[in-house]
Amino acid sequence: MSPLLEAHDLHRTYDLQGEPVHAVRGASLTVPASDFLALVGPSGSGKSTLLHLLAGVDRPTSGTVRMGGVVVSDLPDRARARHRLLQVGLVFQRFHLLPMLTALENVEIPMAEAGVGRTEREARAAELLVRVGLGDRLGHRPGELSGGQQQRVAIARALSNRPPLLLADEPTGELDRKTGEGIRALFAELRADGTAIVVATHDQHLADAADRELWMVDGRLSEHAP
Amino acid sequence: MIVRCALRELTRHPLRTLLAVAGVAVAGAMLVDMLMLSNGLQTSFRELLESAGYEVRVSPAGTLPLDTEATIRDADALIERLREESGVAGVAPVLAANLSMHGELERSVFALGVDPDAQGVFRMLSGRPPGPGEVVLGPEGAGGDTLSLAAFGTLGAVAGTTPRALRVTGRARFLYVSESEVPVALELGTLQAITGRRDRVSFVMVAATPGTDPDALAARLAERFPEVRIVSIGELVEQAEQRLSYFRQLAFILGSVSLIVAALLIGTIAAVSISDRYGTIAAARAIGISRRSILLTLLLESLAQSAAAVAVGLTLGLVTARQLERILSDFPGLPEAVRFFVPDARILGIAAAGILGIAALAALIPAYRVTRMPIATTLHREEP
Repeated sequence: MSPLLEAHDLHRTYDLQGEPVHAVRGASLTVPASDFLALVGPSGSGKSTLLHLLAGVDRPTSGTVRMGGVVVSDLPDRARARHRLLQVGLVFQRFHLLPMLTALENVEIPMAEAGVGRTEREARAAELLVRVGLGDRLGHRPGELSGGQQQRVAIARALSNRPPLLLADEPTGELDRKTGEGIRALFAELRADGTAIVVATHDQHLADAADRELWMVDGRLSEHAP
Repeated sequence: MIVRCALRELTRHPLRTLLAVAGVAVAGAMLVDMLMLSNGLQTSFRELLESAGYEVRVSPAGTLPLDTEATIRDADALIERLREESGVAGVAPVLAANLSMHGELERSVFALGVDPDAQGVFRMLSGRPPGPGEVVLGPEGAGGDTLSLAAFGTLGAVAGTTPRALRVTGRARFLYVSESEVPVALELGTLQAITGRRDRVSFVMVAATPGTDPDALAARLAERFPEVRIVSIGELVEQAEQRLSYFRQLAFILGSVSLIVAALLIGTIAAVSISDRYGTIAAARAIGISRRSILLTLLLESLAQSAAAVAVGLTLGLVTARQLERILSDFPGLPEAVRFFVPDARILGIAAAGILGIAALAALIPAYRVTRMPIATTLHREEP
């Protein structure tokens, strides 16, 4: 059975005031369906950049990202946006919810973009919020929710178009330990339901909850801790 | 969803939205006023001339009606010849003169001598038009059954300057008289006798028969009567437009300035509002929201804000125009019916479209830029 996601020899080099910065150097990995992978490493090691490349948010300088038989890194901008909308769920450290919308409406947004009708998306958004434990917070705006609750809304938003892959960048980075535990438990549930998860994290507890860990140091990926 | 996002974003910062709406509304009000000013005098002048029901004016050579104190001599013969011309439905001679009013009040009046059966310089409000030895007064001012009038100044030397008692027959609204003047109307022969200007008139109004082109009639009559000046209302309006072209230029410059101010204000507010949300917008693009959706949302925000400003601005512009009209209508020598600011649906539409168009353009630049920002770099910058 072919893996859900395959990255081959990814390189990403930035130009910083005329000097090349090698953020990712020759990273290769595969993510099977229902896998829970943790990318661990110090700040500035290239974890977020790798996650962006895997999501199709950024293009590699060289190398390929393939998902479902499609070479994502070769897709034009509009097709990559559509790919991210339907195939990948993205979660950020700072949640990035729309502050003027309610939790329910925030979860609806990717579905509205995908063309899902209002009745269906409202029902699906409510169902997802119940699933992440926020059934009693549907009409609350982000400013009225705690950090952990906002991250749960962000996870529900990421899952709204039922993507097979969830990518999370430091999802517990802004949360206290107890709230972080809730997010870890939620990831475990999602994985059990068949969603593949890749997290970039400093949080060793979260990394321990994953099926496997990959270490990233100076843009290089390794199966072993440095 | 796009509409909801745009409107909610505006209500999220009520003070910012309110100040932006107020700023654009003031610029919009100024634009409305300038557009009305650029058009108002011409429009009201044309309406005033057309309201008399006579489309052609005959005045002494080299002058325009009431432009100078010059008069047309041998007026009776001219009027008879004009009446015989084809395409002429009616002829209304007018003699204008300043008279001195004697009685309880000593004051100057502006007298118009007319043919009571054919005149287009006043509308009766009460009573009946003046016959020989009679007078019609303006809407307000001295009352009583009789009025004593005489020619004054240099005309005092000519015949008929003895104060003459005239019977008051009614009151009328005068079309071509300014608020500062006290108008009265007399039968033409009576005024000619008082002023010693027998067989003279200041100007003659000519009505065209139905289906006759007034411009063509005026041109034909001008050829037939070279001793006088004959122009149509259209030509008079054109000449007035030339004389008042500085109003248009002033209005154009100030109107353009108000549009530029509105554009800068909207552009600045849009840029500030968007730069506050770089991280959220980059995240929205990262989760697959298209550039088009984001651009539409941001443009809609600006348009909704500007639409509110347009509603306030148009109202404010109309209110301001009324106040300015009051000030400018005191300008000496202007007929009461002439208006500087004439409200017009077309002008309001142009102002609204102008502000909304400029709002879309001003917001387009920062909105377009943010959708072109590299997502990953922006997220790196926004995330800790």
